[in-house]
Amino acid sequence: MSQSYSSRGSVSRIDDSISVPVRLFIFSSLIWLLVASVLGVIVAAKLQVPSFMGECPWFTYGRIETLQRNAFIYGWASNALFALNLWIMSSLARFELKSSWLPVLGGVVWNLTLSYGLIQVLLGQLNGFALLEMPKEVAPALVVAFMFAALWPAVAFARRPTGNVFVSQWYIIGATFVFPVIMVIAQLMLLWCPTLGAMQALVHSWFYQNLILLWLGGSALSAIYYFIAKESGRTISAYYLAAVGFWTYFLFASWTGPATLLGGPIPVWLQSVGVVAALMMLVPTVILVVNFVGTLAPRNGIVQSWNNTTLRFVLVGVVGFTLSALLNIAFSTRSLNALVHFTQFSQAQEHLAIYSFVSMVIFGAAYYILPRLTGSFWPSAKLVHLHFWSCTAGTVLFVVAGLTQGWAAHGRTDFAFSALPGLLAAALLLVGHSAFVLNALGMLTAESAPSNRRSY
Amino acid sequence: MTDPHSSNNHSQRSSHEGSEGSADSRLVEAHSQLAKNKEEPSEGFSSLPIIIVFLFCGFGFWAGVYLTRNAGGFSANTFDLDAPRLVADSGPKEFEADLAKGQTLFLQQCAACHQATGLGVPGAFPPLAGSPWPVGNDERIIKIVLAGLAGEIEVKGAKYVGNMPNIGAGLKDAQVANIVSYVRSAWGNSAGTVSDVKVAEVRKAIGGRGQYSPKEILDAHPLETK
Repeated sequence: MSQSYSSRGSVSRIDDSISVPVRLFIFSSLIWLLVASVLGVIVAAKLQVPSFMGECPWFTYGRIETLQRNAFIYGWASNALFALNLWIMSSLARFELKSSWLPVLGGVVWNLTLSYGLIQVLLGQLNGFALLEMPKEVAPALVVAFMFAALWPAVAFARRPTGNVFVSQWYIIGATFVFPVIMVIAQLMLLWCPTLGAMQALVHSWFYQNLILLWLGGSALSAIYYFIAKESGRTISAYYLAAVGFWTYFLFASWTGPATLLGGPIPVWLQSVGVVAALMMLVPTVILVVNFVGTLAPRNGIVQSWNNTTLRFVLVGVVGFTLSALLNIAFSTRSLNALVHFTQFSQAQEHLAIYSFVSMVIFGAAYYILPRLTGSFWPSAKLVHLHFWSCTAGTVLFVVAGLTQGWAAHGRTDFAFSALPGLLAAALLLVGHSAFVLNALGMLTAESAPSNRRSY
Repeated sequence: MTDPHSSNNHSQRSSHEGSEGSADSRLVEAHSQLAKNKEEPSEGFSSLPIIIVFLFCGFGFWAGVYLTRNAGGFSANTFDLDAPRLVADSGPKEFEADLAKGQTLFLQQCAACHQATGLGVPGAFPPLAGSPWPVGNDERIIKIVLAGLAGEIEVKGAKYVGNMPNIGAGLKDAQVANIVSYVRSAWGNSAGTVSDVKVAEVRKAIGGRGQYSPKEILDAHPLETK
């Protein structure tokens, strides 16, 4: 017992004050990750063999795919980002959370609401707006739960002791304010008092792009900045550009929605504004890549990062972000967009953003945060390796298969889509996620005796 | 490769030597200084600001030009970039068969059976390439596209028992005209194009009828060649 005590790290007072909500968020995200991964395999299997589980209406493709996407984004990614944002912001702003029951309440309501909504989807109560499919009473409950669960970083920011701010804090504040705004406006204009016809598509595209690029993407970018600076011990290279990067990212990303509706029945000037915004994303992308790569690359930094678990995942995340941003820029132009619209290509683009970029960064962050939160070590190094390699292989396979098939499909009617690579990728991701969840749950449950935690 | 587990342990121990929090305030402090100061020339990015400023100005200029050219006059009623040019032409326009549109429609509506090559599937779906059916009198093919054709037919010496649905019933006159014109001129077929007016006349004449039988259509419009 004494030996295990000595091998445990100590938990600082800040970590202690946010420990309960962060644990709750991470625990919930792990459960949703498993659910989403199993559903991901079923979805991929149904693409290959459409009759698979086809007799039962609960498991029809429309419901299962909706379930998978919502569980992944609202269950896994959002819960994990609640934890990350709270943890990073509290550390940077030296913030001690006094009433930790409030975010806990928010987290509980969020997850119960999500479970209710997804059960309704399973029963067939769903509407046609991606990521707003759950019954319309779910959306306001999610906003309220978000206010309790995720607004604490803003409080921490407002109460920071010094005026100095690190770039991660901007991104967290931005992402935290974007979510309630887009969620309220989108549900008002789509679910509660629907606007007319084509306008709905426009509102939805705006909501969708903001959710992916600003709420998920913005939070993940904050984590990349933080862990690169923290784990490499270096200051961010060309840091004076980070402010420009932040403002241009939030300005242009929120306008890219109409670029996903090219050729659709919306006024052509809106489509053109979307194209311009999408191409102007080159500005923040260049700055972010200069910041990230410029910090890590010199003095053999890539090799050092590769040998650090957190930075290894973050590196994959940086590559995912760069590729996803460049592809979104290139394929928002009218000529290229026409070739791949409605094909697997756009599926692969989305996977790049929410998985290769956002999820990989979350994994890296979890490998940093969990030991400090629980004061214990990761139970198995083998599972860490398994997690990294199957998830990396899975995401690369999925993206390459989607991009090549989408590209090959353009202008052809005799094109046969093969879902086998996607099925294999989904299975690899399930293996990796199981390894991760097993490892993390072992850690969250093993550490229990309060005597192991030192309080000052 | 170093074991990530052990390296993680290592970083954890080293960061716990100083307290976690003070490391974070040093990080914030150092970056605040960086943000206030100008870049250090030794960083190797000294020419970057100038390049980036020029690059971004270039983007801004391009964006302005692109928007002026592609915004359709910022009208709420312009949904297609080609639309303003059409509006500019005055008077009713003469229909001109658009073979490219016809090909696209053919690939969407017809190619599943008749194939993109127009050769059909032996024993199942009759060919259109080199077939006497679509060429010659244009009313025959228009009627088949509009109402469908069910029964046994002979094309180029082979027998087919087909059941073609009334594909054209759900399409506009101009779309049917484009498809028919494409089929009549593709793959070595050489017959004249048809107009949307002609399609509208035939559609009105046949009314909402069911599929033709081979005998019925051939009695009305016998094949010109065998």
